[in-house]
Amino acid sequence: MTTILPECDIPIPQRKPHIVCHDPENMVLPMCNVQTVPGDMTERGCTFSGCRGVVGGPVKDVIHLVHGPIGCAYYTWGTRRNLSDTKLHRKYCFSTDLTEDSVVFGGAKKLYNSILESHELFPEGKAVFVYSTCVVGLIGDDTEAICKQAQEKTGIPVVPFHCEGFRGVSQSLGHHIANRTIFEKVVGTKEPEVTTPYDMCIIGEFNIDGDAWIIRPLFERMGVRVLTIFTGNSPYCDLPVMHRAKLNIVQCQRSSTYIAKMIQDKYSIPYINVSLFGMKQTAEGLRDVGKFFHLEENAEKVIAEELAKYQPGIDHYRKRLEGKKCFIYQGGPRAWHWMRPMQELGIETILTATTFGHKDDYEKIMEKAKPGHICIDNPNALEIEEYLVKLKPDFFIGGLKEKYLTYKLGIPFINGHSYEEGPYAGFEGFVNFARDIDVAVNSPVWKFINQPLKVK
Amino acid sequence: MARSVVINPPKMCQPMGAILAYMGVHGCVPLVHGSQGCSTYPRYNIARYFRESAEVAASSLGEDAAVYGGAKNLTEAIKNIKSRLNPAAIGICTTCMSETIGDDVKLIAKKALTDDTMKIFPASTPSYVGTHLTGYDNALRMLVETLDVKGKPNNKINIITGIINPGDIREIKNMLRLMNVQSIFLSDISETLDTPILPGGHKPVLPDGGTSLSDIADSANSLGTIAICRTAGSAATYLKNKFNVPSVLDAAPIGVINTDRFVQNICKLSGAPIPEEIIRERGRLIDSMVDVHHYMFGRKVVIFGDPDLVSAIVRFCAEAGMTPTVAMTATKQKDFAPDIKAVNSEYRTDTQILEGTDLYEFHEVVKTHGAELILGNSKGKDIADDEDVPLVRFGFPVYDRVGVYRYPIMGYNGSIYLLDQMTNAILGHKYDPNKLHQ
Repeated sequence: MTTILPECDIPIPQRKPHIVCHDPENMVLPMCNVQTVPGDMTERGCTFSGCRGVVGGPVKDVIHLVHGPIGCAYYTWGTRRNLSDTKLHRKYCFSTDLTEDSVVFGGAKKLYNSILESHELFPEGKAVFVYSTCVVGLIGDDTEAICKQAQEKTGIPVVPFHCEGFRGVSQSLGHHIANRTIFEKVVGTKEPEVTTPYDMCIIGEFNIDGDAWIIRPLFERMGVRVLTIFTGNSPYCDLPVMHRAKLNIVQCQRSSTYIAKMIQDKYSIPYINVSLFGMKQTAEGLRDVGKFFHLEENAEKVIAEELAKYQPGIDHYRKRLEGKKCFIYQGGPRAWHWMRPMQELGIETILTATTFGHKDDYEKIMEKAKPGHICIDNPNALEIEEYLVKLKPDFFIGGLKEKYLTYKLGIPFINGHSYEEGPYAGFEGFVNFARDIDVAVNSPVWKFINQPLKVK
Repeated sequence: MARSVVINPPKMCQPMGAILAYMGVHGCVPLVHGSQGCSTYPRYNIARYFRESAEVAASSLGEDAAVYGGAKNLTEAIKNIKSRLNPAAIGICTTCMSETIGDDVKLIAKKALTDDTMKIFPASTPSYVGTHLTGYDNALRMLVETLDVKGKPNNKINIITGIINPGDIREIKNMLRLMNVQSIFLSDISETLDTPILPGGHKPVLPDGGTSLSDIADSANSLGTIAICRTAGSAATYLKNKFNVPSVLDAAPIGVINTDRFVQNICKLSGAPIPEEIIRERGRLIDSMVDVHHYMFGRKVVIFGDPDLVSAIVRFCAEAGMTPTVAMTATKQKDFAPDIKAVNSEYRTDTQILEGTDLYEFHEVVKTHGAELILGNSKGKDIADDEDVPLVRFGFPVYDRVGVYRYPIMGYNGSIYLLDQMTNAILGHKYDPNKLHQ
């Protein structure tokens, strides 16, 4: 038996298949991508958040208009650290602010007017992305027709995303919807002005804390032309031309393999998976791309330059971190993206978890896991707390919602969702990552927790 | 506002406020009956402001619930929370979805309760009605409606705080202690959302602190209720109508006169005299105002946020000799405009009132008036940068600075802190350092 039922889950045995202790002789993957047990204190978000927050949101020069009551727009206003070199997408929040009247009589008119007004006030917005929230799906506004009408009127693309929060089991379906919508409605609507034999799209890179600004130049230095980054710091005009790449590489393989596959199927453009975190994996990614474009020598040159510059930093932190044990809990792929980089720092990952991972994510985790490694699908606050107390990792890489729980238990923490002081990708980013782990683990602030105040 | 589209709204939806009200109740687990985003987003907001873990359960409604209703999910959620956490209570917030599909949450909750060892508060908080303040008010009223029992007079005063900081609540408690008046806070996040790291990293399952259910029940027997945020006043009105508990809905205690009114209200309801220490605190506030009036006189200040806090701060700014030029709130509240008009007539100011609008409009109006200081939450950062004026942060949420929730801006002491913050912001922003040697 390799599935486990933690003590906190005794009243909800449905959780047992989701928690696995790795046994290579008798490998079982956690049950995944199914409905959450109601009331289990899940950390999952909704389909809207996956679509608006993760995939659509980083496009920097479009008006992101949330069609629904106010909350969903407010909560996605500048929250995710998907940086850009312009301000429109993080500075402004657009909402149709639906109220009771609209729930009764429909929100069509309000949506139409909102698109027109937003366009008039912000002509710098190159398109309007319209995201539907729960209530829109329930009252049945025909957002397709309204957006089409508004597109004709404004002359700019108006793209409806049917990402009502209640659809699907997690934010994962929202990623898929965003991919499919952009593929169907945007990709292929324009031809690039020029093409070269070295055109490539970086897919599933959202420029969290500047990751894309580290990754893009690595490929450019190799002689590759980055046609589009899907979607970190991406201007709208980069999306319609994605079908003219010669190769796509996929970094976030949970949220964005969909579009790479769709482009492959329709336009016969191959894609390769990359893990541009850590020195070895980043080098592998560069080599794979170099091989495809016959730019092997260039790839080696860039790798050598980067290693000369950044490996000493990694060696420095390795000395300070060797032998540490960690938990990694991320939305999906970063849980396995980071297992090997941790080994480069001499750190063992003893527990991984994902919020919305699918089977392929868990396969990739298990490929890298040692016997006894614990893997949890869609963990809840109680399970996280129980394992933190039981296994006492030296640090935990998670998201903001777990951060302060972990602190109260006296365990160092790194925010892997939006980072502490990123970027964390690529060679340079990995030094930042290692530094933040060092800060977390070796800060003097922890020592007071076990030094209680007593009368002398 | 003539637009349909709302741009940069400094307001959130009902579940956010309801969750905050429930988090001030000891042993109460908030449960959002809706899509998972409706619990995750408020949690994220609470975590990033208070830098605390904020555990909120969700009934995780999916597509099947859209067709068949959410009763099954809600029943299972209640059962699971009870069996795993055994909390004193579960505070339900409804959402757009559960309200639109028409779940009868009260009935479902009643059926799900197998014994009376746990209470359930089934508040109706659809996001398409009102704002976070409406949600707070609805949840708070549900607490007293569910629990209150008439018993013996308890000689206490109920304080309805509204959405204010742990630091404010501690300051109000401090004033009541000085006045020797016992109180029941409805509700009280001062401990639950400002928790210590305990020796050895010991963490209670649910946070310590919060108002106990028995205290909430006892609020029916108090000398009176004072709501310091009128947007949260419906529980006070309920207690008055049902149990004849006198209710006072008055301005937030910020600045001299509004804090005076708070003290006077306490005295009136409890019969307590004004102690010497309170008079000394008041004197220190006046002293602090006198100390800085040369710096602050005529300074154009613009303020946005929740209506009770904004109107009280407008008055305080006028008291300190500043010139409030724009007062903005996204939530409509009937006292907001009269409050500010009263200040305008008393201090011959001409503060423009913006109600039920957004920060895009606020910014446009600020540009026409000019400003030397902006007061508001973190969402004012871009306006402050564009206008090149300092932003003094108050209200919920402030996520781009640390610790704002720890410090009071209420009471005489809190007002001193707020004024010092404002003055230092002015002094720190392009003020000639040669003029600061005194």
